[in-house]
Amino acid sequence: MAEPDASLDATRRPFTGRRVRFGDLALQTVAGAAALAASVLVCLIAYTIVRDSRAAWSDSGLGFVTRVSWDPVKHVYGAGSFLFGTALTSLLALALATPLAIGIALFLTELAPRWVRAPVTALVETLAAIPSVVIGLWGILVLGPVLRDRVEPALHSGLGFIPLFGRPASTGSSIFTAVVVLTIMILPIVASISRELFLGVPRDLKEGALALGTTRWEMVRGVVFPYARGGIAAAMILGLGRAIGEAIAVTQVIGSTVGIHWNLFSTGDTLAGKIAASYQGAEDKAQVASLVYLALILLVFSLVMSVAAQWIVRRVARRQGLAVGPGGVA
Amino acid sequence: MLRIFALAAVAAVLTAACGVAAAAPAAAAGTTLTGAGSTFVAPLVAQWAPAVGQAFGYELQYSPIGSGGGVTAVTNRTVDFGATDAPLSSDQFAACKGCVQIPWALSATSVIYNLQGVKNLLHMNGATLAKIFSGAITKWNDAAIKKLNPGVALPGTSIATVHRSDNSGTTFNFTDFLASASPKWHSKVGTGVAVNWPNGTGARGSSGVAATVAQTPGAIGYVDVAYALRSHITYFAMQNRSGKYATPGLKGILAAASSDQKPDATNALSIVNPPKKFPLAYPISTYTYVVVPTQSAKAPELRKFLFWAVTKGQQAGPKLLFQPIPKPVLVVAEKAIAKLHT
Repeated sequence: MAEPDASLDATRRPFTGRRVRFGDLALQTVAGAAALAASVLVCLIAYTIVRDSRAAWSDSGLGFVTRVSWDPVKHVYGAGSFLFGTALTSLLALALATPLAIGIALFLTELAPRWVRAPVTALVETLAAIPSVVIGLWGILVLGPVLRDRVEPALHSGLGFIPLFGRPASTGSSIFTAVVVLTIMILPIVASISRELFLGVPRDLKEGALALGTTRWEMVRGVVFPYARGGIAAAMILGLGRAIGEAIAVTQVIGSTVGIHWNLFSTGDTLAGKIAASYQGAEDKAQVASLVYLALILLVFSLVMSVAAQWIVRRVARRQGLAVGPGGVA
Repeated sequence: MLRIFALAAVAAVLTAACGVAAAAPAAAAGTTLTGAGSTFVAPLVAQWAPAVGQAFGYELQYSPIGSGGGVTAVTNRTVDFGATDAPLSSDQFAACKGCVQIPWALSATSVIYNLQGVKNLLHMNGATLAKIFSGAITKWNDAAIKKLNPGVALPGTSIATVHRSDNSGTTFNFTDFLASASPKWHSKVGTGVAVNWPNGTGARGSSGVAATVAQTPGAIGYVDVAYALRSHITYFAMQNRSGKYATPGLKGILAAASSDQKPDATNALSIVNPPKKFPLAYPISTYTYVVVPTQSAKAPELRKFLFWAVTKGQQAGPKLLFQPIPKPVLVVAEKAIAKLHT
């Protein structure tokens, strides 16, 4: 490394002046400790999960990942049904939430009258602050019955030839209810990040496009979307992460059953949901080890998602030759 | 240099945190009794807490985290006592190293349903219930249900069964009853705080089951009787072995309890589906147990509290539909409590 300019380097070297020394040292120590503690924590969690799942790991190996069974009486455990449920619910929730969220963000940045923007933005962000257990309760009491009595029969009679829209559930609990609940939960995340991204699109570009005679939609499609594309991908992955990890609201409305099927209106379960429902009070060691194994699968799944997010964001940013907007690389 | 400083700081913070965590229970010793476990017995323990505070000056802290969690907690000695609805298995006893279980409360599980337009109190029996929860009976006007309810116009509504998705002593009590009433259930599904349900919908906690049943026309579920009564949910009159129908009231629970008054070597009692010489018995009744280490630093306080709980504490039971435990069982419980030592 080249010898840096002393004046520039002063910010990096706490030992230059006697008076500055203590404050800088404290800052460096606290900040370093915080960063170190976070890394150590993740490693400790990973270590504990690997250690505690070893019994299940050595018992059933990789076969556990695909086995569709959860029988605490006969001690036959497998993750297949939960892995399927997690993938199905989180991807569908993301597919529903993304267009809605982008619509909200566009409305708030480009279309809405100024006096509408602040209150609606605040309301959308409030949605993110509702505890998941409350959304879950609302899911049982209000959303579930409405979906069961109105939405599911309509979808079934209209689109029943698609296996996803099978026979409506008898109770309000179903994969579909869980998907809608998850959609509501990730909507504010994707919407507020997209809003930040759209706000970050330089005014010159937008006005330039409009000056060239484009319609508002053409401007959005030609300027705003390409500029924010990488960031939106990252926002989607953040939302997906939330959907994958959500436990309590899901256990409240999904019906917690084992099995793989494509009927959204029937019951199912997810990895996080199963862990939340069964860890507390799990009786035998095999079951506890199997639950921790589920946690391991969840951890690997999230890690893959996080890495994929970084990769997608970099790739898109590089291809565009543009800096990613604020909040892009989260 | 700085790196080392940072590392040392982190280490110091971590050690300090661990030190605090380890010291906390010791500092509170003598005045606080902590317990965890069964949600079933939680309303009763909640009644006890202020009374125990008045009588002995102890602070009683109870976390209703579920029976299995309570057993784990007392096994790890993170609480002074655990509470469980399912008697400990021999493995659990071995793991708990010198624990004793003592029956300390007595209640029942009610089978609740939601069937609009039918005013009568409906009858049900174990064999039919097992078929319903296996998915073999799917309609309310099935011949088997009709036979139990002569003269009642049952609609053709589909039955939706609702069970607990979390681990629960109530599930243990309910599946224990189904297994005793149906050999097929016994061999195919079995008994446990969680089982591999052949069909139906899972819901979280008694409140989740109750809410799902309330929202679903034609649903059948199960919750502890105190919960059903508090939330005014309709429940079945269950047929016992004598052929009579009993509701989950104090009388039915007492009659069931009189079927087994001799706790076994581990103080466990089985009063589910009692023999037919108990015509008043409600067949899904159960004891619930407190699990304590025989030897512990807080033995004197635990002895006082538990003596009080199985004697005077029982008076708080009836209004929560806990039947005071019968004399012969009380004698055994007191003997076990007397053996706790430091």
